[in-house]
Amino acid sequence: MSAIFPLTFASDDLRLLTAVAIGGAFGFALERGGFGNARKLAAQFYLSDMTVFKVMFTAILVAMTGVYTLAGLGVVDLAGIWINPTFIWAQLVGGFLLGLGFILSGLCPGTSLVSAASGRLDAVVTVVGIFFGTWLFGATVDWFPGLAALYKAGSLGVSTLPDLLGIPAWVVVLLVVAMAGMAFVGAEKVERIFEQTRGVLALTPSTRPPVKFALTAVLVVFVLVGTAARRAPSPAAAHVATAIEPLSLATRLIERDPSLLVLDLRGDGAAKPIPGALLVAADTSALGVLAEAVPGRTTVVVYDSAGSLRALPGEWPAELEYRYLAGGRAGWEREVLTPATPRASTWQERERVQRQHHVAAFFSGAGVKASSAAPPPRVAGGGGAKKKKGGGC
Amino acid sequence: MHAKPYWNPYKAGVVLGLALLAAFLVAGQGLGASAFPKRLIALWSHGVAPGWTEANSFFGSYVSGGANPLRDWLMVEVVAVMLAGFLAAVSAGRFKVTVEKGPNISVQGRLGYALVGGIVMGFAAALARGCTSGQALSGGALLATGSWAFMLMVFAGGYLGAHFVRRQWI
Repeated sequence: MSAIFPLTFASDDLRLLTAVAIGGAFGFALERGGFGNARKLAAQFYLSDMTVFKVMFTAILVAMTGVYTLAGLGVVDLAGIWINPTFIWAQLVGGFLLGLGFILSGLCPGTSLVSAASGRLDAVVTVVGIFFGTWLFGATVDWFPGLAALYKAGSLGVSTLPDLLGIPAWVVVLLVVAMAGMAFVGAEKVERIFEQTRGVLALTPSTRPPVKFALTAVLVVFVLVGTAARRAPSPAAAHVATAIEPLSLATRLIERDPSLLVLDLRGDGAAKPIPGALLVAADTSALGVLAEAVPGRTTVVVYDSAGSLRALPGEWPAELEYRYLAGGRAGWEREVLTPATPRASTWQERERVQRQHHVAAFFSGAGVKASSAAPPPRVAGGGGAKKKKGGGC
Repeated sequence: MHAKPYWNPYKAGVVLGLALLAAFLVAGQGLGASAFPKRLIALWSHGVAPGWTEANSFFGSYVSGGANPLRDWLMVEVVAVMLAGFLAAVSAGRFKVTVEKGPNISVQGRLGYALVGGIVMGFAAALARGCTSGQALSGGALLATGSWAFMLMVFAGGYLGAHFVRRQWI
């Protein structure tokens, strides 16, 4: 299955238009969640109202399980999604400062905009401050070498926790889900303990169990799907073969290149195989053939009927070079066994046609000689059937 | 007249998470907020001092080569966030021109804290290349290493600072 997300748009304007709906949903959910009220947000840091934590981590869980599940199923191409590059020191220091600013103003940059839009003057002042602070950084970063160095400190490029820890993404996703689940239970308990300081913040309805159950059920489904998808053999593990043109394969066969091993993976006997090719099934039975034939070989050329087989099982030996025959058996028929028609006008073209004629003649008539280049016993050799004679110049 | 109650936090989180997932799938990027001041200032600065802005290592890339810093997915998104926030507040009966503060602090004191907090956050978001929306939420959902480091430090800074500005809120 090929990835259909992220979407591609006919024009940039169309893409920008999607921000209206998505940003609208974001802003609406922020306000209705209580993120337009600085007192409610600040209460997170006095443990009396854990709304910030609960909303934020629920959102992270939904988006994270969603995107990694769909990536596991091959519906999403993660490489097409912009992932924040890591500058670990800049982000540790910046995060700490932002936390301090958060408790001073009671808002963060996103929520200050929502709060200002709902009439709160403290939020309007915060927004003014954010503009000034942003300008201040830009104005000073080139003046203070220390600040410029911190801005670029700890660069890891695009780094994700699965990469960093060297464990599969689905394991990290499961761990985050499990930790967040426990933290939600803890947050509910903490809120009850610090309830006396809640005051006006009691506008938050207490959690109704059905919501919890529904949420848990949704997450479990997501995670199970994601887990199953991640356990399936990942296409990344497969060997990706590069193309080899029929004529250059033919040339190497004529020269009896000893490093070459040709595998016929068509699984049927429709047209005669290429001289010297081994007939194998594309599944694990090829493993035995490879193990037997590998000594001395460095290049494995595979072909099917039409040249669409390009990814080979990851279990095949990693030290070999894998090539697929461009056009498959049909390409061989067209390029090698059928002598080229003399439409050559330039000198190079004429030379190429002549060379092709030699090759065609070799595999049409002298195929038996070529097959002797392939040692193992299960060789399905023999010459090509075509005896067509093309007109000369 | 009473305002509508807030949503259950888990419900708000699911809606927010679906919006974020939609951003990943449709636009190929997460949500953000601090891009808004950054790009607007780049535009204004370019109007006042074009040479300086284009050479600046923070603002330069947004205006160099005649680029329009406002023509960006995040800019449209932030404007939509504000409009939707306004509509949500009005329709919930929560729109009110007022100052949110604890009972033990003056209005001026609260606004002073808000201004200082804003300045610190503007600086911090610029340094960290994102804020709670762009780093913690969006990068966190993609399991970006720096975003998780950022998120943990936001909570660390918040809980540490809370001890010193208790009077403002409680």
